[in-house]
Amino acid sequence: MIQLSKNYSLPERQEEPIPIKVVGVGSAGSNALDRVLLDGMDKADLIAINTDVQSLASSVATRKVQLGRSSTHGLGTGGDPELGYQAAIESADEIRQAIAGARMIFICAGLGGGTGSGAAPIVAQLAREAGSLVIAFATLPFSFEGKRRAAQAQDALSRLNEIANAVICFENDRMGDMVAPKAGIHQAFGIADMTISQSVRSIVNLIQRPGLIRIGFDDLFAALRSQNGRCLFGFGESDTDNRAHDALTQALKNPLMDKGRMLSEAAHVLVQVAGGPGMTLSEVEILMRELGRHVRDHTQIVFGTAVDGKMGNRLSVTIISSLASEDSIAAQDTSPPSEPFLAPPPAILEQVEEPPPAPPAIDIVPETESEASPEPAPDDLIAVEPPVAAEAPPPPVPAPAPSIKKPAPRLIPPKKKPVVEKEAKPPKEKPVQAKQEVLQFEPVTRGRFEKSEPTIVEGQDLDIPTFLRKNIRVK
Amino acid sequence: MSNNDLIVGLEIGTSKICVVVGETRPDGTLKILGVGQAPSRGVRKGEIVDFETAMKCVHEAVVDAEQKSDVMIRSVYVAVAGGHIQSFNNRGCVILPEERDEIDDQDVEDVKISAREVSIPAQNAFLHSIIQHYHVDGQDGVLNPIGMLGGKLEADFHIIHGVRTRIQNTIRCVKELPLEVEDVVFSALASAQVVLTQHQKNLGALVVDIGGGTTDYILYVDGAVKQSGALAIGGDHITNDISMGLRIPMARAEKLKTEEGSCVLGNCLPGETILLKDDSGFAGKEIERETLNTIIHLRLRETFELLKRTVEEEPFINYVGAGIFITGGCSLVNGIDHLAGEIFEMPAHVTHAQTLSGLTSAVENPQFSTAIGLLKYAQAVQVDRPRRGITRIFGRFFSGMR
Repeated sequence: MIQLSKNYSLPERQEEPIPIKVVGVGSAGSNALDRVLLDGMDKADLIAINTDVQSLASSVATRKVQLGRSSTHGLGTGGDPELGYQAAIESADEIRQAIAGARMIFICAGLGGGTGSGAAPIVAQLAREAGSLVIAFATLPFSFEGKRRAAQAQDALSRLNEIANAVICFENDRMGDMVAPKAGIHQAFGIADMTISQSVRSIVNLIQRPGLIRIGFDDLFAALRSQNGRCLFGFGESDTDNRAHDALTQALKNPLMDKGRMLSEAAHVLVQVAGGPGMTLSEVEILMRELGRHVRDHTQIVFGTAVDGKMGNRLSVTIISSLASEDSIAAQDTSPPSEPFLAPPPAILEQVEEPPPAPPAIDIVPETESEASPEPAPDDLIAVEPPVAAEAPPPPVPAPAPSIKKPAPRLIPPKKKPVVEKEAKPPKEKPVQAKQEVLQFEPVTRGRFEKSEPTIVEGQDLDIPTFLRKNIRVK
Repeated sequence: MSNNDLIVGLEIGTSKICVVVGETRPDGTLKILGVGQAPSRGVRKGEIVDFETAMKCVHEAVVDAEQKSDVMIRSVYVAVAGGHIQSFNNRGCVILPEERDEIDDQDVEDVKISAREVSIPAQNAFLHSIIQHYHVDGQDGVLNPIGMLGGKLEADFHIIHGVRTRIQNTIRCVKELPLEVEDVVFSALASAQVVLTQHQKNLGALVVDIGGGTTDYILYVDGAVKQSGALAIGGDHITNDISMGLRIPMARAEKLKTEEGSCVLGNCLPGETILLKDDSGFAGKEIERETLNTIIHLRLRETFELLKRTVEEEPFINYVGAGIFITGGCSLVNGIDHLAGEIFEMPAHVTHAQTLSGLTSAVENPQFSTAIGLLKYAQAVQVDRPRRGITRIFGRFFSGMR
């Protein structure tokens, strides 16, 4: 009930900058958060939430919440989402306090581990209950981290998808594409953090910046509507002479954008162009025309523009869109729940009634926890099932499967989503490959050496380009 | 002559003509006073193909050097390159007369002459004969036999020769300016004088001077030249390949090569492109970076592999301890040292002229290694120090040619 009063105070503050909080859950989340802070973020409060005290202590966030003082004793979760979940439930009050009063909450979490996968959905849920809009930035583990982590991440992702208003999902595997193959692993992880930070900041800016053509929450959620789909996100900034073109190129270069190829399949694209007072109409026009080449004719482009004195000479482009996942059935399934997102107030009311169910969840789980946590024997699973009657996951016999699915039912007692949804894996297929074109060469030429004495070594005329002689096709 | 201590090196390269003016100090140090250069036309693969145009370009470069260093240039040392230059090792032998057993100057001169008594193609002329080692009565590795006792003096020489008319063409081009030609020096030999230290020569090193039109190499083992030669492949070939592969003009291909190109593959983002702007600065053609790098890589790999096969015809490459030293304008291609190191399986370095004073900006540019090396070579010859590697009979080879 306390939450209700806080919620109602929100609309009055709309004249001021919208209160935004960025929450990093787990170690990966707080790394991303640190990056957001280091990159400079004055428009939002940053909160680090973690079970691991050491990691928490090293975070530079202004506010920190330690999860599970008694269940994890300040240690990590050892990659167990169940433990992360327990810890979050234990510290639910502290989390509520920390996130109170925010109109929008961004949750950064690295899925696949314990705290990120287990606690992030709880944080999202608490935030929704508190009446905030929730956008989750989730990273999926590298495929080399193992199938189990991937499955845990998928699990957590589908739960986040149900709870959060929007989920922007980064596949670490694709982050890898951003760094040169020879770059160090440290750099690869750093790039992932940087991309998240960039996205957080650009969405915050998108919403906070006074816009000539304003982009609202509704536009944002419309662009992010298709759940379980692939989120397309691109951000570019440039201050060169040809800044409009350069910024767009940079935005399209983003790994979540796949060089703009994926953009042609999106139905809804949100674009914000921001610049200093010097931004000209023709620049915006050039940019939009160039972007137009990447989208289909019937794609709806939601366009926003903002002038910000702080931008100086720079011009930035933010592109947000989403694609339905490859199995469109899954996308269709999830589109109805997206409707309430467009109208936050009713959603809040709905959610406010839910807190009661949440505490029982806390009660239920501890009993099963003691049995379940050591090793998931089939017996344990049966013991787990009763509290979650609606779920009824197929009785899993193989050993690895139960361990992954186990936390699923207990984590979201109020939600009625079938666990089967996990099957709707985010698109893993390779991005569209550019077609290899065959260049037709005229009868072998020697270019500028046409008239000079040929250099014949070992029977080859070395004046002819090597790739022609070796028959290596270059595009 | 008042400018006796003035030395000028002139390199007629395929892409540029470069004149370096230096002076020797009484203490033996060399100071660079100025560098003049002009874009080269009428030169292909290190050889003059258009006499008139090339002469104009040389004149331009000399005038530039005169203005920059504020001296009058009268005589120059000229570097020659080109695929026609070849080399071999030969041993000369002299038996001392019965009544004498101390080796003197004359014996050393005689052994040099005897070493040159080999047949080279009729149209060829000697460029250098460089002493490697003396042997006295079968004793190996004698550095200076004068004053030693012995009955038989042998000497190993490295002999560099090239097509007479082509070398003459270069000389004539300079003489018509008119400038005096002090000497003609094989360009890799000149470069090696400044990019290698004596220590590196002793350890064994391969100097590869990749210029616009030619790739010249010289191999030192035990402080002596063992192998040298030239391939008529250079940076121009890379540019030509890019131009043909990407279908862009030569000038743009050259710019792309120097500004964006790299010969390391797999080091750029997939699908990363380079935007070529047209003359008005607007977006023109987009080029995949990997494509560009592949073209450069293939050409350079082939060049290095060819070079490797060439030097492996003799066993000396196995005794190279210090590694490969790449210089010349083309050494500025990104990653060339990695590629060379990978192919030759030994450390590779991109280097420039070392141990000189004055005008460091010029010294530190590998494009000028040869021209600066000419000064060092000239200095060594003028002082006439008995320095291994450069000892040669001055002026005799060309006495009939000039």
